[in-house]
Amino acid sequence: MATAASDPTRHFFQPIIVCLTVASVALTLFVIWISLHDLSLMRAGREKFVGLDNYLRFFGDPRAMAALWRTVLFTTLATVVEIALGLAVVLFLDRDFAMKRLVRTLLLVPIIMTPVVVGLTWRFLFDPATGMANYLLSLAGLSQVDWLGSPQLALYSVLIADIWQWTPFVILLVMAALESAPTDPLNAARVDGAREWQVAWYVLLPMLRRALAIVALIRAIDSIKAFDLFYIMTRGGPALSTETLNYYGYIAAFTNFDISYALAIAIILTIFTNVALLTMYSVLFPKSGER
Amino acid sequence: MARRTIFYVGLLLLLLAVLFPLYWVVVTSFKTTRDAFAIPPVWFFSPTLENYRTVFANRGFLSAFANSFVISILSSALAVAVGSVAAYGLAQQPGDLRRSKEKFILSLRIAPALLFVIPMYYLATRIGALNQHWLLIAAYAFVNVPFAISLLITFFDDIPKELRDAARVDGAREFSVFWHVYLPAARGGMVATLILCVLFTWNEFFVALVLTGRDTQTLPVSITSFLTFQGIQWGALTAAATLIMLPMIVLGILVQGQIVRGMTLGSVKG
Repeated sequence: MATAASDPTRHFFQPIIVCLTVASVALTLFVIWISLHDLSLMRAGREKFVGLDNYLRFFGDPRAMAALWRTVLFTTLATVVEIALGLAVVLFLDRDFAMKRLVRTLLLVPIIMTPVVVGLTWRFLFDPATGMANYLLSLAGLSQVDWLGSPQLALYSVLIADIWQWTPFVILLVMAALESAPTDPLNAARVDGAREWQVAWYVLLPMLRRALAIVALIRAIDSIKAFDLFYIMTRGGPALSTETLNYYGYIAAFTNFDISYALAIAIILTIFTNVALLTMYSVLFPKSGER
Repeated sequence: MARRTIFYVGLLLLLLAVLFPLYWVVVTSFKTTRDAFAIPPVWFFSPTLENYRTVFANRGFLSAFANSFVISILSSALAVAVGSVAAYGLAQQPGDLRRSKEKFILSLRIAPALLFVIPMYYLATRIGALNQHWLLIAAYAFVNVPFAISLLITFFDDIPKELRDAARVDGAREFSVFWHVYLPAARGGMVATLILCVLFTWNEFFVALVLTGRDTQTLPVSITSFLTFQGIQWGALTAAATLIMLPMIVLGILVQGQIVRGMTLGSVKG
């Protein structure tokens, strides 16, 4: 029998893992090196070492701070609303009905739609003069709204598009978890005379806890990095009111050509993401901490 | 009976909310400009192919179609080829080693794209690689390989270990087990992985926005060109949008069972 060290199956993955490790270490070092200099795309080759200046600049930059706050707000709202709405729909659909498979297939459509097209679609619907959204408001006798043109509203309009695209993902994932869950506890609770809402709250929800936690983590990671909808729908405007940190990093690099500062922003965003995820993870999976 | 009616009304509203935006874009692409902007909206109209003619007359859009096609197929095929070899090796490892490698692979997917796109752009400008197809193929293969590995492992896990043991007893070498036993047995999973990689690459915008030049623009980047010239040409835009998303919706429905699995990968096992 082959020993572990000479196990030939190792040759299958080791070269690729080594490549990925080398690439990511080299990339990380290069990124840190750039962020400690004042490299600009406008005058490449004449950079000098500036130490932590780019990082200090970040914390003194009101535009960056506002973008950071906006990222927190957007991520929190998107995750919470998508989970709550998704869970509500799952509970609503939790029964046998004709065409359940078809409904499932249709729910897939927003998820696989090209995000740029989703952005265009909602920009079209939110058009102030000819859009469907304002037409519906006028049918209801309400006054017209400038969805993407008002600094107070624009972020929430983008949020609506994000919710539209990703709530179905929550629904499908939680639905799958619900179907693989045992039905005995539910029936036992019903036999014991529990009301439907009690069954949902005390039996169903704890069973779905793990699936909900996972989908919340996934949605949080993706919302922090959201870019496409912002680029297509608002370009960070009006008056920077929809500029998230990821978007500001893009602007710093490719509009201002200040790649050192942009990478400092990207590094801070990465650290911030990891801290947020670890916190979320320990809140959502408290048991794994106890052992 | 009343409860059932309420349920079906609710279901109808749900489907309406999910599908209406899509329906409206597709329908608008068949309208004349006058019908498209009529208020109140026109529900019944005589369809026209005028917008599609505009789109197909746009050479930039046609070449973007070719670029998207070539880049997403090649980078995905590369990722699945490399990924299947690595996934085979990892699937045979004992728990601890395997889990630590899987965690590493997963961590590659959390970092924001900005982190690797900026250095890549910087290097590409210095060696003059912007505007070359291989740059994008390489970038997307780099993004897709970790994904392909973690998805393919789950398919290889479904293959009973006895198959491998039997082949080993018969004296087959490791590579021929991989080639003659595992690959044929996991064919469905490989196709699903390939399709999902194509889907992500085709839809991807950020990397393409930064790393494509005039000759390598992919569809999501190319469609933004309808946004700037003298306002927005909604007619042509909706036609282009329909053309971009339709192939992906067809592909997505083909592998519908795998999509949620693919998107939650790794994290499900915790």
